[in-house]
Amino acid sequence: MRTAVPILLSLFALPTLVACDDGGPLGPGFTDRQVVADFADQVVIPTYALLDARARALDAAVVALAADPDATTLAAAQQAWVETRRPWEQSEGFLFGPVSAQGFDPAMDSWPVERNDLDAVIASTDELTAAYLHNLPETQKGFHTLEYLLFGPAHDRVATDLAARELAYLAGTSRELVTITTGLAASWTTGDRPYRDVFVSAGAAGNTAYPSLDAAAQEILVGMSGICDEVANGKIADPYDAHDPDLVESQFSYNSLADFADNLRSVEHAYTGDVPAAGTTGRGLDEVVRAVDPALDARFRAELAAAIAAIGAIPPPFRDAITTPSAYPAIAAAQAAVRTVQTTIDGDLTQAVR
Amino acid sequence: MIARVAALALGLAACGDAGAVLAGGDTTVFDRTSNAYALPAPGLDDAALALHLAGDASFEATFVRGPAPVNAGLGPLYNHNACAACHGRDGRGLPQFGGAASQALVRVSLAHGEPELPGAPVPVPGLGGQLQDHGVFGVPPEIAIELTWIDEPGRYGDGAEFWLRRPRLILRRPDGALLPADVLRSFRQAPAVFGLGLLEAIPDDDLRAAADPDDRDGDGISGRVNLVWDVDAGAVRIGRFGHKAGNPTLVQQAAAAYANDMGVTSRRFGGEVEVTDDVIAAAAHYTATLGVPARAPGDVAAGEALFAALGCDACHTATQRSGDHAIAALAHQTFAPYTDLLLHDLGAGLADDRPEFAADGREWRTPPLWGLGLAPTVLPGASYLHDGRARTVAEAILWHGGEAEPARERFRTASVAQRTALLRFLAAL
Repeated sequence: MRTAVPILLSLFALPTLVACDDGGPLGPGFTDRQVVADFADQVVIPTYALLDARARALDAAVVALAADPDATTLAAAQQAWVETRRPWEQSEGFLFGPVSAQGFDPAMDSWPVERNDLDAVIASTDELTAAYLHNLPETQKGFHTLEYLLFGPAHDRVATDLAARELAYLAGTSRELVTITTGLAASWTTGDRPYRDVFVSAGAAGNTAYPSLDAAAQEILVGMSGICDEVANGKIADPYDAHDPDLVESQFSYNSLADFADNLRSVEHAYTGDVPAAGTTGRGLDEVVRAVDPALDARFRAELAAAIAAIGAIPPPFRDAITTPSAYPAIAAAQAAVRTVQTTIDGDLTQAVR
Repeated sequence: MIARVAALALGLAACGDAGAVLAGGDTTVFDRTSNAYALPAPGLDDAALALHLAGDASFEATFVRGPAPVNAGLGPLYNHNACAACHGRDGRGLPQFGGAASQALVRVSLAHGEPELPGAPVPVPGLGGQLQDHGVFGVPPEIAIELTWIDEPGRYGDGAEFWLRRPRLILRRPDGALLPADVLRSFRQAPAVFGLGLLEAIPDDDLRAAADPDDRDGDGISGRVNLVWDVDAGAVRIGRFGHKAGNPTLVQQAAAAYANDMGVTSRRFGGEVEVTDDVIAAAAHYTATLGVPARAPGDVAAGEALFAALGCDACHTATQRSGDHAIAALAHQTFAPYTDLLLHDLGAGLADDRPEFAADGREWRTPPLWGLGLAPTVLPGASYLHDGRARTVAEAILWHGGEAEPARERFRTASVAQRTALLRFLAAL
């Protein structure tokens, strides 16, 4: 993972120092089982369910586009892509567990797009069966391949320019996306040992993944911190430092800034235990923090809101902003605001929770 | 009680005797989450940290065939398209094949013939030294791999039943023919990649001193250094990295992985420069400078004592010390990898019957055990040993044979309480 180091060092040294056993000098560590349960049941699972539902809607919109490609059906499919993107980006504050281990993340969100082979498949006479598409590399499927085809490499897609093979490829790829989102949602809720049970049983005898509730709380906090790091020091910094639009993720749809803001919302959801778009509410870390330091809770919420606002203040699209000097101060300000959030997570928030 | 106070006073994450040596010395990180393997070592200077972060991006980069604006060079044949795709979160992979979820590979060679590097396995004509089960568009994968498991029962000394599973690979060429029987094969899952700079920094002399190829001390444990070809030195060196210690340096290990695993060639392997020496150096530096997670809190002294009493530490050497290293933070550290980096005969049950330089078909390099307890946190469903056949650490122990058979038998016949204590210790690593 990308890491801004000085923060992390202060961060993990102290809590562990005092966590040698229960009853250490600063208390027993985190023990609020409801927060851990609600994180799974009210945040992670509903977010993945929303992703799966929206992927199905995207698939339907793409099927409609393929059947009757015109400006209306194209716009509807593009909008459905944007709507599906949102819960995925809002899940990137908790990229632990099956999403990475079972390859759902790369299957859905590989970047960059394998344009040469995509073009070659479309130019070929290969039959685009579900099995054929399933066997293609993930760089020719998933969000960014759909984005590339729906929006066009220069963000100027005209529906009638889409060839029959491209439409068929789109439809096959959107169907394949649904199999991935369905599998991801199921990984937390079904099977021999749903990951929900692994996480919620933190601290139970035999739980090797999360030997304590404190370990589960750390996992939540590290995920929150990690996505801030990724946004400030990866997703923004990599293309901005190089001033290279080719490095910008979600560049075809001009959706990069929305991606970043939704990443910050994933932090908010992990913190509050609520996912507004899914209509769920739970007991979050915020309640734990408020009990010990209400001012910290208020400050952290303000920092989150400021970071989302700072991202929104970057002139769109992001792929142009990184080569437009007048936009640089806004980009730098957004990075700083996100780093502020991360600093608070790694420092004060971690202390307060544990 | 006094020991504990002293440890706290030193500012170490020490609990009881356990923390006398921190897992990674001064490069230890204090994190027991799924992110624990992915943190930079503390103490890196600005330049080392900057290169680490550059290497982090390289390690995560997804390659495409190209020509392409970024990350061109994949294939034409490959196993996967990013380092991190198999070493997810810088940890191990799963023993599975097919599409995005593929995280393992099969090495091949012939028993006789001319190697490409002195002493190296003999490549198979048309296939090379590794089977690539993916190809770019228009290039059929050179192999289709079907993996099934065969269950085998066993019993602990107290009568309790256990089941082990053994892998069975069916390897088919594009024309449907089975891979010829005379092709030697070795099925391997991706290992974790943190803490590797410390292992690189253990002086050669220390490894040689620990080796006992003829078992002169009569303890039943031999231990040999692998002697492999160093492409940069143009000479034989001690092997350290890989399941059979087939690579002498992290740079060579990384360059070979780019070429063999992703089809991304470079000056050292393949000739055409699809990835520069600088990028390979950054990726190698990244793995060299990933910190080592500290042991989990809690008292596991009983299990730690059993680890020694059962003889596990005869190969899984608890403590090592690094010598000089170009990365200052890695030099002169005392750390606890639980490996001697030597080759040991693990018996017929684990044998791949495929030699690799000086390692014979029954020998494997002792894998480090640091961070072992975090494996299921980092990778749900994580499995153990070179091919992931062990679904639990207990199964991994029960597979030990050869030189390790006496230790395995002491574990198998130990009481439930003792076995549990040992496993608790290992889970705290």
